[in-house]
Amino acid sequence: MSAKQRIVQVLGAATAGALALGLTACGGGDGGDDDGLTTVGFVAVGPEGAWREANETNIQETFTEDAGYELKYAPATNLDQKSQIDAFTSFVDEGVDVILLSATEATGWEDSLKRAQEAEIPVILLDRGIEPDDTDLYVTRIAPDNIAVSTAVADWAVSAFPDGANYFVLEGPAGVSVVNERNEGFDAVAGGQANLVKVGAQTANWSTEEAKSVVETVLKSNDNDVQFIFAQNDEMGLGAVQAVQEAGLTPGTDVKIATIDGTKNALESLAAGELSFVAEYNPLFGETALEVVEQVLNGDDVESSIVVPSATFDSPEAAEAALPDRKF
Amino acid sequence: MSAHAHGPAEALKALVRRQYFWGIVAIALLLLVNLVKDPGYLAVSIGSSGNLVGNVIDILRAAAPVILIAVGMCLVVATGGIDLSVGSVMVVAGAVSMEFLSGAPDTPGSGLAALGLVVVVSAALGAVNGVLVSVVGLQPFISTLVIMLAGRGLAKVITGGQNTAATNETFRWIANGYVLGLPVVFLLALLLAVAMGLLVRRSALGLMLEAIGMDPKAARLAGVNRRALLFTVYILGGVLAGFAGVFATASVMTVDVSRTGYQLELDAILAVVIGGTSLAGGKFNITGAVVGAILIATLDKTVVFLGVSSSATPAFKAVVIVVLCLLQSERVRRAFRQRRAAAARTPEREALAA
Amino acid sequence: MPESLPIVEMVGISIAFPGVKALDEVGLRLYPGEVHALMGENGAGKSTLIKALTGVYKIDEGEIRIAGEPRRLGGTADAQSAGISTVYQEVNLCANLTIGENVMLGHEVRGPAGINWRATNKAAAKTLAKLGLGHLNPKQSLAALPLALQQLVAISRSMVLQCKVLILDEPTSSLDANEVEQLFAVVRNLRDQGVAILFVSHFLDQVYAISDRLTVLRNGRFEGEYRTEELDRAQLIAKMIGRDLATLKSLDAKESRRVRGDEAPLYAAKGIGRKGAIDPVDVELHRGEVVGLAGLLGSGRTELARLIYGADRPDTGDVAVDGEKAEITTPAKALAKHIAFSSENRRDEGIVRDLSVRENLVLAVQARRGWARPLTRREQDAVVAKYMDALGVRPADPERPVRLLSGGNQQKVLLGRWLATEPDLLILDEPTRGIDVGAKAEIQEYVADLADEGLAVLFISSEIEEVVRQSDRIIVLKDHRKIAELEGGPGVSADSIVTVIAEDGLGDPNADAAVREEATT
Repeated sequence: MSAKQRIVQVLGAATAGALALGLTACGGGDGGDDDGLTTVGFVAVGPEGAWREANETNIQETFTEDAGYELKYAPATNLDQKSQIDAFTSFVDEGVDVILLSATEATGWEDSLKRAQEAEIPVILLDRGIEPDDTDLYVTRIAPDNIAVSTAVADWAVSAFPDGANYFVLEGPAGVSVVNERNEGFDAVAGGQANLVKVGAQTANWSTEEAKSVVETVLKSNDNDVQFIFAQNDEMGLGAVQAVQEAGLTPGTDVKIATIDGTKNALESLAAGELSFVAEYNPLFGETALEVVEQVLNGDDVESSIVVPSATFDSPEAAEAALPDRKF
Repeated sequence: MSAHAHGPAEALKALVRRQYFWGIVAIALLLLVNLVKDPGYLAVSIGSSGNLVGNVIDILRAAAPVILIAVGMCLVVATGGIDLSVGSVMVVAGAVSMEFLSGAPDTPGSGLAALGLVVVVSAALGAVNGVLVSVVGLQPFISTLVIMLAGRGLAKVITGGQNTAATNETFRWIANGYVLGLPVVFLLALLLAVAMGLLVRRSALGLMLEAIGMDPKAARLAGVNRRALLFTVYILGGVLAGFAGVFATASVMTVDVSRTGYQLELDAILAVVIGGTSLAGGKFNITGAVVGAILIATLDKTVVFLGVSSSATPAFKAVVIVVLCLLQSERVRRAFRQRRAAAARTPEREALAA
Repeated sequence: MPESLPIVEMVGISIAFPGVKALDEVGLRLYPGEVHALMGENGAGKSTLIKALTGVYKIDEGEIRIAGEPRRLGGTADAQSAGISTVYQEVNLCANLTIGENVMLGHEVRGPAGINWRATNKAAAKTLAKLGLGHLNPKQSLAALPLALQQLVAISRSMVLQCKVLILDEPTSSLDANEVEQLFAVVRNLRDQGVAILFVSHFLDQVYAISDRLTVLRNGRFEGEYRTEELDRAQLIAKMIGRDLATLKSLDAKESRRVRGDEAPLYAAKGIGRKGAIDPVDVELHRGEVVGLAGLLGSGRTELARLIYGADRPDTGDVAVDGEKAEITTPAKALAKHIAFSSENRRDEGIVRDLSVRENLVLAVQARRGWARPLTRREQDAVVAKYMDALGVRPADPERPVRLLSGGNQQKVLLGRWLATEPDLLILDEPTRGIDVGAKAEIQEYVADLADEGLAVLFISSEIEEVVRQSDRIIVLKDHRKIAELEGGPGVSADSIVTVIAEDGLGDPNADAAVREEATT
């Protein structure tokens, strides 16, 4: 394709995008209709990365009208908790049948959850937990187990560095439950290993660009004496790979990088030998969520925590094998 | 301005009187703190491919995007306005270039075409700001807030909500390459900043902007075409933000729709203020804005170098900025001078107290 | 009047600014129950002395005693608590607040639930009524009032502060005769209650009408303190400017009128008008001619000038410049046609306060060229040198911010800015308001010279005598319409214009009286 055609195409997309924005702005606000469908309000995170995209698309594709549901999707504005609370409140006021919640921040949900409880609307947490974790305020939390996933990374690190290593952790934004849990699981194992030395941890806000900048400085402040980087999501891991390369080191050999999530980009990077370990944090739990919602609406009891099983990939071969079927 | 005519002592004195002098002091202090932690901090070595390598070089590279948006912001602020949309223009620029490059061949031609696209799209967004402010007459805060919110949405639509990556060596070189051993991004940012400086000071643009920022009514009666000037300034701000977006995304060849340029408008405003330009409009100082941008980059890098924990990082930055702003405040400085004078008068009491 | 103890005594006050000694051992005594006039040319140090007394400036040397006690005034709040209150030269209120809020600002009536707005507005109305402004609604926005009434609101505000010393800095420069009389009634009333009043004005008649005692300053020095009745006008002016009155009189004597040729008018408007501002009028202006606009405050003088310049967009009318049809809808278009306009509102629409004298001088020329074609430094220097010299701007430092200059010098800079555009038509709206006698004479003389050199000048002043003296032809306005056009000459005087205005529409004795009084000031 010539550059010129491509310009026209992208400009077209930009214009269409602008139009679409205008249209959504006008098209919102049609109220609930009584056609026998179960109304589900989904307070979602919105665009954050490939993992979230896969997760939320999967939920949207599961709760279809064919399955008997009307899903109201409310992504947060720029990951802002306030916009989530607003959406949550309006779902309660509207009187939806069930609310699914993926909280951008762990704290500050008590009031909203109590409102839902008073309105007798069951709330199911998806992926992200809340703090303090008061299980009376919600029905159940469906999520892959962050602690188990990060423990798997730590277990791999222990076996991959029998002679010990200096390691650095790229964290998500401070205060998010995922970050706390991924730290907890990892530290429980790695903290007990005397020969695994933590040289530091810093947030890169889930961002490739920021992770690259952080790792660039971390390598300098440690005279490149870092053998292992644990990135709490794929995007940051990919940034770390670039920083390691820029520093004249070889990722996978001089510095091994492990990430969590298991997106297609990460698996491609693992297949190319740049990443060394990818622990999947399975986003596809639409089916599980559907079952739980049905049980709740039937009045059945459900466990307060439901774990979605996840896989791990520790070699280029494993990654290549999984790539063709990767949905996210 | 004519300091060179008087010799180095006067030149130094003139520098001390500048508001951004304290920004320079703050940069020096931060570097010093890093130096205490690691005596080799300031060392710059020659890397494998003949480039300069070192923490200082990293700071310059990190400063590049902020320099650009700060310079643009500086001009907008001079007119008495503000541009909250720069961060969103950055992400749109990133989205447009990545979306384009992901389907284009890896040639210098497509790299340049992507740049051209960015200029067109970011100028268009700047023009929307310009129209809203100068023709429609909305408050700059509101107009640019609209673009700030819509811009990020537009980026999501362009990329389909995905973080989009692409490969293009030319494009990548902009952010990661070196010329004469120095990072291309920094040289480009400096070049654009100097070009803007020359543009406003060698032409009468600077005077006109200051006039409409200080006293719009008087400027209008003096025949100054406020509408055209505002339009020009918001377009310039948009294009500079577009370049900043290219710098940010080309660094990792990925656009992150929710993070690229996120809240960078605040950094730009901060840099402008540190540089001694009043948010009320009027007199502005581009050199000061560049100093402010470099200070912000230094601060970001220092936090990582010192290993300040993630949760303490915002507080650490806030303390540095607040102290700096206090030092810049004329009132606080006067209070200090009086204290010093008082202390000099009563040395005995001081000695006793000690 | 009994020689009681002075309430304010300033002794040996000196204040230096970088490069200038603004005040040099100046003294001032204010007695309770007296109106004291502070006299001097612009730049003599009157404003500086007032700012020292109100705590805005720190004094370098000297002492301020209030009721016999030495006081250091660290700011306006200090001065206010010492009972000193000021109404400044240019109205200094919050235009976006209501009248009541402005009057009571900081002294709102408080109830258990915060401010009691009803009571506050009531108190404001009471204060306004005392000043004879009972017809004003305290809930109305201040911005809706004409400048003159805003001034009176500013004065009522200072009455709320229960002051012992009231400083009135050029309070009458924007008031008409009726309003001046209204103000003076209040001032006398306050004086009789024992308030010491410091009065600053350029109107000698007003000074003689109201003051009991006066202090004269010249070039930052104390010239003397006198009982008003012991010093006649000629002596006073001589003391203020250090020269006699002959130069001023020469202008009065100039009765000869320029003879206009038969060439086509430079500017011709047919039915130019704007709804709510001025009814459609015809205006013709010729080269080498000064045309005056006469009329009461609010008669449409300024509004007509603004339409001609395009500062406001005309709704109706056709305009021709040099015989060619012209669309003048913005100031930039007017400047392109070599029309320049100096606004009556020097502070907000004239100078750009924070720019230097140089930048203010070249601003209009530069704006017409566009930003992309800057004047070279040499061209700027030429403009600056030419007009600073020709107009006698002092101090002669082009890099000084224009806000640091006195009012008269700011006006000269402004005039220089418009002349630098080499206009064919120069519109001057109140060019001599609020400036001292010396500068006023200089500007009047300069305007006459300009017309002699072939410029068309449109001259506006609220002093009808000044209009008569300056103009070859006078357009008389009343109630937003043109009522007459008089050829100047021995037959036309302030009185004859007053008669024209008074007889138009017949039998409005108040207007007649007001105009007569204004004419004599």
